[in-house]
Amino acid sequence: MSSTKQLDPAVCNVKVTSGAVVCFEADYYGDITIGARTVIHPKARIIAEAGPIIIGESNLIEEQAQIINRLPEGTEAGDQLPVMVIGNNNVFEVDSYCQASKVGDNNVLEAKSHVGPGVELTRGCVVGSLCSLVCPQVVQENTVIYGDELHHRTQSEKPAPQGLQLDFLTKILPNYHYLIKPKKKVAA
Amino acid sequence: MVCLQSCHYDFVSQRQPFNPTITIFHQLGGDSCLAQSKMELEDSFYPKAQYIETATGNRVSRGSVLCGSQNIVLSGKVIVLSGVIIRGDLANVRVGRHCVISSKAVIRPPFKKFSKGVAFFPLHIGDQVFIGEGSIVNAAVVGSYVYIGKNCVIGRRCVLKDCCMIADNTVLPPETVVPPFAIYSGSPARHTGDLPEATQDLMTDYTKSCYHHFIRVKDMPPQAREGTTKLIDI
Repeated sequence: MSSTKQLDPAVCNVKVTSGAVVCFEADYYGDITIGARTVIHPKARIIAEAGPIIIGESNLIEEQAQIINRLPEGTEAGDQLPVMVIGNNNVFEVDSYCQASKVGDNNVLEAKSHVGPGVELTRGCVVGSLCSLVCPQVVQENTVIYGDELHHRTQSEKPAPQGLQLDFLTKILPNYHYLIKPKKKVAA
Repeated sequence: MVCLQSCHYDFVSQRQPFNPTITIFHQLGGDSCLAQSKMELEDSFYPKAQYIETATGNRVSRGSVLCGSQNIVLSGKVIVLSGVIIRGDLANVRVGRHCVISSKAVIRPPFKKFSKGVAFFPLHIGDQVFIGEGSIVNAAVVGSYVYIGKNCVIGRRCVLKDCCMIADNTVLPPETVVPPFAIYSGSPARHTGDLPEATQDLMTDYTKSCYHHFIRVKDMPPQAREGTTKLIDI
């Protein structure tokens, strides 16, 4: 038996673009596509129960973060599977919970934030720690949600991109964790 | 006046071990020196197969995730419950003696941006620190005798000085400095109270008795009993 561990194909189907650093020790379920330069820390949970999840480039998904594509209780699956699309340069911090139908670019979900189903994050949104968005809504660009009372404010520019941190993690995470390798294209 | 009460914690049913309720009464007179505590915590059992006990007395659950364990230093008699994630792969983590890290907590070194790049800084946690369930500790330094409540978010590069307390469900913004004997709560965290001068002794007693009452058994008893018959495996 080879020493490299393999994902169980019956449970999940993870397509990793080359350049992404995807730790093996995270929970995957369903059909997941991960873009280049994305870093997924160990113990993240990406659950594509109801339909596929497509994660863009340069995202940072930290441990205990949950990205879940699940049908709300009581609804039945229609003909089309709901696809959850996550854009580029997003940050999902520790223990954040995202069930949004669509996540744009440059958003930050801080630690322990909760984004429920039906919410749509556009660009540059910051959902603060311990804040939860439950009602279906479209969050405008560059909105910051923070505090105990869930104040809203608009910032003038999008949150800073985490390129430096991503580079650092791309260098050191492979030293400590098993990674899911991108599948090599089969020569015809 | 601070009342340190210990609730019944039932490790068998995986319900919140080591969960005291610290109720703080603000006395109008401002007298903060009286502190009462119930003398004995109840015993909490842990199955031998689930925990690793090291030579220095650390008890680490097999259900916890210690990344980069070569960079993690547990100084002795530290209890790490299941579901804890300690990211030693990012930077060194040093945890002092008699600490209790409750389940699902995340201990994560903070990062700092330099002009030339980014680096993760070592995280030092002092002695006799209690970290509540589900808390995320991203601090640069945590002093000794600190109580961190449940579900807290300690922001990046915060500095928690000795003998402070972070109440449940607080969010400490990045780079906050929490002074000694302060109680912080809310989101964003504000200084909402003071701890008595006896906090150091209180935390020492509390964490030491947590450790003593964390008893290894060969098989979990069907129901946790009040300390009369303890199965101790040697």
